[in-house]
Amino acid sequence: MTNRLRVLRAERDWSQAELAERLRVSRQTINAIETGKYDPSLPLAFAIAHLFRRPIEEIFYPNGGPDA
Amino acid sequence: MACESNRFSMRMILWAVASAVLTILVAGLQEAGIIPPPLRIVAALAPVALMVGFFVGMGRYLRSMDELQRLIHLEALLFQFAATMLLVMAYAALAKADVIPNLSASRVMSFVWTGAFLLWGLGMVVVRRRYQ
Repeated sequence: MTNRLRVLRAERDWSQAELAERLRVSRQTINAIETGKYDPSLPLAFAIAHLFRRPIEEIFYPNGGPDA
Repeated sequence: MACESNRFSMRMILWAVASAVLTILVAGLQEAGIIPPPLRIVAALAPVALMVGFFVGMGRYLRSMDELQRLIHLEALLFQFAATMLLVMAYAALAKADVIPNLSASRVMSFVWTGAFLLWGLGMVVVRRRYQ
């Protein structure tokens, strides 16, 4: 799975630590999601979508792009 | 989150240290023959009872983590379990073949506990690297 978390975070000028705090997870978790080493659970993915006020499919999509 | 995690870690360490200290104390009292026969079973099992506190603390510690941290710890525990079992089985097979000395159960227990903690730490290092 690929995601736009790093881009969305950069748009808001948040650090990984700030985003982690808002989502109540560790900074390592944010880093692992951004680098594609860890796919978040559905509740966490929804929490991310809610925080950025975007539909979940605009943030997370299958490898190969949004239309794959 | 880190503060809460440290609190749980500290409690677990305290339970484990208390159990280890009690194990040494009971062993000393047993060797000196101070413990009266009716209390021998209670005294022998007292350190085991303290380890219940350790495992309860471990469960709470795992539940307090976020999902990735929990996954890392559970994978590290799997690593530790597999490595400990393999080492114990290998030792038992070699001891049975008279290649190495056959240790008593109480001596094996102390090695297994120490080894299990070290392997848990090693498992944490190995698994953590995968998600960095």
